[in-house]
Amino acid sequence: MSSKSYTEIAKGVKLLCINSNKFKTNCIKVDFYLPINEQFPALNVLASLMGHTSKRYNTVKTFNSKVEGMYDACFDVSIATIGEKARMRFSMEVLDDKFTLDGNLISEEAVDFLVDILKNPNCDENGFDEEFTAREIRFTLENIEALKNDKRSYAVTRLRQLMCKDEPYGIDYEKLENDVKMLDSKALLTAYKKMLTDSTVVITACGSIDGEMLTNKFKDFVQNIENRNPQKLETIFITKADEIRYFTEEMEVNQAKLVIGLRAGMNDANDDYFAYRVMTDIFGGGPYSRLFLNVREKMSLCYYCGARLVREKGIILIQSGIEEENYEKAVNEIFNQLDVMKNGEFTDEDFNSSIIALSDAFKGVEDSPVAVCNFYSSQDFDEEIVSGPEFAEKISQVTREQVIEVAKKVSIDSVYLLKGEGAENE
Amino acid sequence: MSNIKEIKNELLKDSYYEIDHSSGFKIFVYPKENYSSTYAIFGTKYGSIDTCFKKEGEKDFTEVPEGIAHFLEHKLFESEELDAFARYAKTGASANAYTSFDKTCYLFQCSGNFEDSLEILLDFVSNPYFTEQTVQKEQGIIGQEIRMYEDEPGWESLFVLLRAMYHNHPVRIDIAGTVESISHITADLLYECYDTFYNPANMALAVAGNVTVEQVLKIADKMLKPKTSKKVERKFQVEPENVVKDYDERHLSVAMPIFAIGFKENVKTPERTLKESMESGILLDIIAGPTSSLYEELLKDNLINTTFDTEYFEGYGYSAHIFNGESKDPVAVRERINAEITRVMNDGVDREAFQRIKKKHYGSLIMDFDSIDSISNSLISAYFNNEGLYDQLKLLESITAEDIDSRLKNAFNIENSSMSVIK
Repeated sequence: MSSKSYTEIAKGVKLLCINSNKFKTNCIKVDFYLPINEQFPALNVLASLMGHTSKRYNTVKTFNSKVEGMYDACFDVSIATIGEKARMRFSMEVLDDKFTLDGNLISEEAVDFLVDILKNPNCDENGFDEEFTAREIRFTLENIEALKNDKRSYAVTRLRQLMCKDEPYGIDYEKLENDVKMLDSKALLTAYKKMLTDSTVVITACGSIDGEMLTNKFKDFVQNIENRNPQKLETIFITKADEIRYFTEEMEVNQAKLVIGLRAGMNDANDDYFAYRVMTDIFGGGPYSRLFLNVREKMSLCYYCGARLVREKGIILIQSGIEEENYEKAVNEIFNQLDVMKNGEFTDEDFNSSIIALSDAFKGVEDSPVAVCNFYSSQDFDEEIVSGPEFAEKISQVTREQVIEVAKKVSIDSVYLLKGEGAENE
Repeated sequence: MSNIKEIKNELLKDSYYEIDHSSGFKIFVYPKENYSSTYAIFGTKYGSIDTCFKKEGEKDFTEVPEGIAHFLEHKLFESEELDAFARYAKTGASANAYTSFDKTCYLFQCSGNFEDSLEILLDFVSNPYFTEQTVQKEQGIIGQEIRMYEDEPGWESLFVLLRAMYHNHPVRIDIAGTVESISHITADLLYECYDTFYNPANMALAVAGNVTVEQVLKIADKMLKPKTSKKVERKFQVEPENVVKDYDERHLSVAMPIFAIGFKENVKTPERTLKESMESGILLDIIAGPTSSLYEELLKDNLINTTFDTEYFEGYGYSAHIFNGESKDPVAVRERINAEITRVMNDGVDREAFQRIKKKHYGSLIMDFDSIDSISNSLISAYFNNEGLYDQLKLLESITAEDIDSRLKNAFNIENSSMSVIK
């Protein structure tokens, strides 16, 4: 049993403070979880805006000077999708009090700043500041368009959209772009209010920060939010793909990008999670994995070829960069290696390498405040919180038979290739 | 016998050990109380810029293909029996390596079996094994690595800029070389480079985290055999003061033009002092950092977005202050940066901003000491630059606003700047 537990500080708001004296930094993450719904476009803009301005610090200069003045505190607001939940994350890393030059209690100052940002954004009763609204809409649009700058992640985005077309997970960026263009300062205000009332909130902190101070300040903030009504957060888990779908798109790329999406066969994020984790790792994790050893080392087809499990959605993503002419060769070998997993033809050495590498990594996961916060916040919706060493223990209990069993449930959904324009005519 | 010296820092309440090992290698051990993991890095001061060199006693310089240091990094993992990755797979350590402009480093992180993993690291880096056949196999893999970078606009914009700034200095060549240049690499050439740069005079080992000096020495005593240190002379072509081109561009499919603007410093000695580097960091923040007027105005005028950033870029024989970002009008951004540099040169840096930014740099220096990765890598870099790990903390206090003013005057010449645009 883990000694760590959340404190419920208001309806749908929980807080976990991991005290540790070994660090020189404190880290605080405040996560607002919401369904991916019609507010999602506005939340994207809001995340950017709230990371750059507030009522008190209403210019770029005053806002950034405040953050910089706290000894290079690292403050960031981001939006991400965790399965089919939208997560607005307000994060802060700040120097520990014992290192300030003037004896200032900087961790308290940082918490005050964080609460102030959340409580008093740059808006009045009619909407957000117009100038910032326009600028932040521009940033958001530029961000969406810039997705195509990074061809590797663009290919993943496209696979995700095509494979999960009828699920909220398959975000349609073209639609998102159009929706963002339609937003105004009033719509952002509505989204902000929804963020406060409709979300499930998890606060995670790590360092030598005073947990009582932190709890009281956040309590005071969240208990005063009126009409709290956290929305249900659900993710669709499709356990089996009917048939393999193939997609090819063209873009100006030098190297073709291959992405394959698998349905893991999980019913929810905890369904045989540890066995899936080990299975995916043997298949395409470290340099001991089947994909690395065969597609890269044996066949020299690529520099990278790996697989990762998206636990919160029950899918597995495989990525590689190849010459277009090697497309069939690479896909066949990846499929072949998946069969090796299903047929239990991987060696004991493959299995042991994965168990020992994963356990080792999780045993050492609590060696930086940011890593600690990330590790625990990945368990935000789990019933039991486990520590790094406990997590490692669960990994090491996975058996070879369990790995084969879950591998058998995996089905191939979509194969996506991003290739050079008009390449077939050359 | 090895000579061990403890180096303490009162402010951080940390200390580390500097060891002159009996084998001739330099070793650093930085124990971190209550940490579960350990990070070890074994590096050589040998990077992509070392393409022309002469060993002590030799008459002529040897010229080697571009990208060979990186190729060697890949190949060192192989051995006659099990390759290094297969050996690490038995200990559970997460291993990697990287090659930069001026160094090549092999590393691992683990929370168990530390001694076994350290033994693997010291063993495979000390025992090269190359054959023509394995060299050939790697050409395919590295060829794909090079092709991958060709699709990364940020990376491309840096190299287009470096080629626009530097006439002769090898910093202008890609770290991994080109598909063509690596086709000339042979097993013999790899042995030649290995022999030149992989010896005690040019290498160091750093370990941080859950570790003791005794643990490291136990394995080092067993694995590191005395080896003759070799003095290497690096040949650098004379680099003119001016830039090659004022502007260059390359086409890649990007949403908005991606730019990099570099101010080439006229370097009279190959290396900058640590103080100069730190002054440059502060200076860039004052001119264009997130709290500068320039940054705010460029944002307001829709000329940049939040990807805008600055970097002080320096190494043996090169030094440049770089501004990069995305803009629909990079030329206008450049004009504004030039105008701001001229203004600050005339008016001097804002004293209040200087104090705040100094505090910022102090905070970030201290926070770095939470990371065993950052500590180990910094120990290696500091050693290769003849510095101590804690020197920056000591120096920061002594830097004045007047130092920043003179750094600006000495390092910036608007005439000697280039811009690269990817669009």
